[in-house]
Amino acid sequence: MFSDELKAFRRLGFRHLLLQVLNFASVMASGLMLWKGLGLFLNTESPIVVVLSGSMEPAFYRGDLLFLTNPAGERYHAGDITVYKFPGADIPIVHRVMETRDVFISFENSTESRIIKKRLAKLKFPPGEHQLLLTKGDNNHVDDIELYQGLDWLERRHIIGKVRGFLPYIGYVTIAMNDFPQLKYAVLGGLGLLALIQRE
Amino acid sequence: MVHRQNATALSSEPTTPSRRRSSAASSPEKPPGPLSITISPEERDVVKVNNYSVSELKNACDDALKRYLSRPDLFKQIHLHTDVRLVLGWAGVFTAAATGLYGWKTDFEKSKPGVWVGFILYLILTSLQTLYSYFVEGDTIFVGRRKTFSKRIMTERITISSRTLPVSSSKTSSQPSSTNLPSYSLSINYVQSTSGGKSLLAKGRTSEAKEYSAFFDEKGVMAQEVFERWVGELVEAVMEGKGA
Repeated sequence: MFSDELKAFRRLGFRHLLLQVLNFASVMASGLMLWKGLGLFLNTESPIVVVLSGSMEPAFYRGDLLFLTNPAGERYHAGDITVYKFPGADIPIVHRVMETRDVFISFENSTESRIIKKRLAKLKFPPGEHQLLLTKGDNNHVDDIELYQGLDWLERRHIIGKVRGFLPYIGYVTIAMNDFPQLKYAVLGGLGLLALIQRE
Repeated sequence: MVHRQNATALSSEPTTPSRRRSSAASSPEKPPGPLSITISPEERDVVKVNNYSVSELKNACDDALKRYLSRPDLFKQIHLHTDVRLVLGWAGVFTAAATGLYGWKTDFEKSKPGVWVGFILYLILTSLQTLYSYFVEGDTIFVGRRKTFSKRIMTERITISSRTLPVSSSKTSSQPSSTNLPSYSLSINYVQSTSGGKSLLAKGRTSEAKEYSAFFDEKGVMAQEVFERWVGELVEAVMEGKGA
């Protein structure tokens, strides 16, 4: 089965081989760029995540796919479902916001701080960049303070995004590929073979 | 334009064991056409494709044409279109890989400007590649050049584009008949010039289509001699300066 393909490659030359490998590589590159571009437009590190634990049942089950956005100035309110990750932690955590606190920054220069305070007072709610959050999973008995690695509050910079929508069950594909790495390599290998053998 | 009658007979038997050059002595002005250089049957590979896939048929014909016209003493293929596509494509792949690596290694907030730059660069490279492929390359499959040093340096340039003419739906009969098959259409553009392209000696253009069933049997094996004869006749016709 492969001898025909190998003969074809030898006949068609080196440029042809480069072209076929380019086919495969450009599919991967466009997928990667789609992902990164989506992350840039939605301002989040990971616009699509998979629910890995059952701590948000009955809202989300293990294997659901979640769609996140993280607009820069947005405030988070109690009741929002957020996905957050601590640097150094393996996996993102999906839990609901219980409480929020706002932090105001004081300025050295008193005139500057007066102007800023005036401007802030005009807004109905202050901007969300300096919020502190407390979260808890719906299916958990206690809130997440144990998970905050010593901090009392979750900071805005730890948050990947707010859940806007979800698809049930689709995430099981990712879970399967993570639990059985051979599956991942098999899929990748199959895709590669297909791209190398097919002509445009 | 005065044409010298070419006295070489077309070698139609495929059983000649050795290559025979055309009698260049009989027409020193005229460079040899592709039909006058034969291929011995032992040197051929069998080409077998899936009969039902029109794209495979077209690719097999394109490859056979490129092999046929790139033989020694015939045209040398200019790989400009392929090279541009390779350069732009691989540049895009490397940009994407670099951007991905950078985004993975750095913090999200800090990496944002870098990832934006990489993303925009990738978009530019991909659109350039697509535009080039669509507008500049188009249907071209072979661009060849040949320099002959007979009395003066003569340069020939040939551009061949091909496409598949699909089954026409205007025919009233709904079942496939032998007159209603997809065909392979070739368009050849030929220019012969001398002294560095300044004076034009000959110019020819032709276009012809033939059904795929003329070249492939029911198993999908390609009758390469038939195809090559058809291509050779077309190329020699255009080298004579026929057509518009």
